[in-house]
Amino acid sequence: MGPGHPYRELADALEGAASTRGKLAKIEWLAAALAPLEGAELAAAARLLSGSPYAEWEQAVTSVGWATVARAASAVTGWDLETLGASARAIGDLGEAIGLLLPREAAEPAGLAILEVDERLRALSGRRKAAEKGAILEDLLRLASPVEAKYLVKTLSGGLRVGADLATVEEAIGAAFGAPREAVARARRDSGDIGETAAMAREGRLEGIRFRLFHPIGFMLASPIESAEEVAAELPLYAVEDKFDGIRAHAHKSGSKVALFSRTLDDVTAQFPEIALALAAPPGQFLLDGEIVAWKGERVDSFFRLQRRLGRKAPPPELLAEIPVEFVAYDCLAAGDTPLFERPWRERRAELERLAAGGGFRLSAVWRAGSPADLEELFRAARERGNEGLMLKLEDSVYQPGKRGRAWRKWKKALATLDVVVTAVEQGNGKRAGMLSDYTFAVRDGDRLVNIGKAYSGLTDEEIRRMGTRFRRITVARYGPVRAVAPEVVLEVAFDTIQKSSRHKSGYALRFPRIVRIREDKLPAEADTVERVEEIWKGIQGIG
Amino acid sequence: MTEGAGIPHLELRPEGMFVPAFEAFLDPHGPVPRAILSHAHADHAAAGHGEVWATAPTLAIYRRRNPEWAGASRPLAFGEPVSVPGAALEAFPSGHILGAAQIRVSGSDGAFLYTGDFRRRPSRTAAPASSPAADVLVTECTFGLPVFRFPPRGEVEQRLVAACRAAAGEDSVAVVLAYALGKSQEAALVLAEAGIPTVLHGAAWKLLPEYEEAGFSFPLSRPYESGPAKPGEALIVPPHCARTPVVRAIRKRRIAYLSGWAMREASRAEHDADVLLPISDHADFDELLEHVDAVRPARVVTHHGYARDFARILSARGVPAAPLSDGGERSVEDA
Repeated sequence: MGPGHPYRELADALEGAASTRGKLAKIEWLAAALAPLEGAELAAAARLLSGSPYAEWEQAVTSVGWATVARAASAVTGWDLETLGASARAIGDLGEAIGLLLPREAAEPAGLAILEVDERLRALSGRRKAAEKGAILEDLLRLASPVEAKYLVKTLSGGLRVGADLATVEEAIGAAFGAPREAVARARRDSGDIGETAAMAREGRLEGIRFRLFHPIGFMLASPIESAEEVAAELPLYAVEDKFDGIRAHAHKSGSKVALFSRTLDDVTAQFPEIALALAAPPGQFLLDGEIVAWKGERVDSFFRLQRRLGRKAPPPELLAEIPVEFVAYDCLAAGDTPLFERPWRERRAELERLAAGGGFRLSAVWRAGSPADLEELFRAARERGNEGLMLKLEDSVYQPGKRGRAWRKWKKALATLDVVVTAVEQGNGKRAGMLSDYTFAVRDGDRLVNIGKAYSGLTDEEIRRMGTRFRRITVARYGPVRAVAPEVVLEVAFDTIQKSSRHKSGYALRFPRIVRIREDKLPAEADTVERVEEIWKGIQGIG
Repeated sequence: MTEGAGIPHLELRPEGMFVPAFEAFLDPHGPVPRAILSHAHADHAAAGHGEVWATAPTLAIYRRRNPEWAGASRPLAFGEPVSVPGAALEAFPSGHILGAAQIRVSGSDGAFLYTGDFRRRPSRTAAPASSPAADVLVTECTFGLPVFRFPPRGEVEQRLVAACRAAAGEDSVAVVLAYALGKSQEAALVLAEAGIPTVLHGAAWKLLPEYEEAGFSFPLSRPYESGPAKPGEALIVPPHCARTPVVRAIRKRRIAYLSGWAMREASRAEHDADVLLPISDHADFDELLEHVDAVRPARVVTHHGYARDFARILSARGVPAAPLSDGGERSVEDA
């Protein structure tokens, strides 16, 4: 083993956290692992306990394909790929299965040091070729004890699944080093690095962490309302804005340097050069929250047209001319050196209006509604302007990155729902690991069924469990983790919009599909048809 | 052609495995004129057979569970073969639960051994499994994958006792999720040794006379019917009760899940379990291999569990093996 603390201590802490259902006990396990560490080792440990060797701001993932992990594990455990795959399916988790397949006897390897693991995991993602990744991973697994191998593989395959999220690690840092939870959370948000946060907390220097532009941060989210009546009592507390059907983005700017980060914290600056150029023009530095929207003259263009700009790293001039985009700002999270997250919306808005005077972006208009009738009128007007609906923001509210709460509400008209038939199911991840919670569904096309989408949510755990029993009974074939099922269960699904897509046989895909209810009253023969889908799709195009 | 056709004295029929020499089915799926039952678990002992051959404890439990059954019975005793011209049938202990047997049918043209469900590690209530010689071994493989290697039983039993004591210490009821026939009674015996009183679900309680008949006693157990469990007591109920009012109504509770499937961490969420205790009435992967080595058959036929995988693993180790039929893999809820 290399110098420093063993990774085993982290793996054991994660094992301890997994073995208890109590939040406080989980925090205790993680805090005990962090407490004896310091400096770079502590930083690496805090990141690894939250599931990645990388700080959030690094925007990197240590993703290694299932096949690569399986091949390395096969070489190390001596089990053939088929047995390995069957074992992973039986157990429900590849990392867990590999931990169980490694010998637990006297010959256990010495294990790995925390910094060694950190370095090797980072080296892994630096490689492009699966064979190179495989070789590094195989070495790593040979040095690992079973419990270490288990958590290494979980880190690589996208989830520790111990019921401890970033907030739990923040609390563990607070508990280990006697720092207030809010101070830890703020430092983590401002630094975009749970590791640096831990190291500074140990030194009692959390306030030394300053917000840094160009480190992406999470987005504040809104919870939906279905009608104006729902918020009637609190209406005077809310500011109202149009809800734009664009691409949510944070714009970081310092002088002529500009970066746009998407909801997934990806840097999308190069895809929207005209926005970067416009934002570079005014002086100063700031961080804005807003929406990338396509414009047609003085009107919002359809999301459908905006989509053609997506994923084009260097859009050709013709496309820039045909579908120009602009940044509509509706929040200001930092101005100059000062982060504004903890200031009320009203103050942030004032700052935003001040910045808007300098140009470079479009300012979202703010309305007020005195009554539900007013709100409905605003909703109609927003729809007429080509927008999706309305956003309501409590004027007193602070900006909470990554949180979906009642401080922000969104109101948009749902499209018609579709009745679809479930054709395949598979196990979910995370909280729903081991449950058949992911459904692939289809619409009718003449006598056939053609898949149109896949939904992960909308049902309660109890419903999923009940449906799981039924799906196991009507399984007709298994393809790896996927069970093809007899087409007899009808679901009603809602969605945000319909797009043309080659991913599904139907030629269409639903955006953000969610299950509204199980239609026990309907037969598969009564499910909606691909013609009906086309009809709705045409309706959407008409809006643009 | 399915496997089985080549096994001496065994045919595969829609109802299940058929032994022509005795005109009897082995653990058939549904009612038949004559059934030989390896043990009394419901997935092996369908109701309504015309005639049942089984060990005395298995017959007694079968009667208890099917009170309306009025068929004929023939007790099978370990070490006392039943012969017809050209063939002999003999029951051997399987170590699975009280009364559980392996069945061997032999003749001049060879012998097969059907394991039923079995386990090789010592059990508190079942006679230890024996390893009679046979040309063909028809083996269960519920846990026929190398991820299913259970920790030493004594160690897990200590954890069970510790979990119940911890629950009592925090003024909670310990809830032990265990199958009604076999594991519930064994859990009650383990806890009684540690002085922990138990409350048994009706499905397990009603079988105690059969266990008492076999020489076991349960002085620290009482039925759930006599009142809800109190802190300090352990409530032993079948796993499906975890999400019913029997368990949900207990305000302060700590749930322990006793099953081979507790090797899967996902079972924690599936059963609301606080503690996962991999104790099984079945052989784990190593015991399955040990049994093959001990019986020394010329070939192995796998069924009931990860049949395809276990057959492939055996073949790779140089033991000719094939699944009984391609009935698909068993889902985790069945065991």
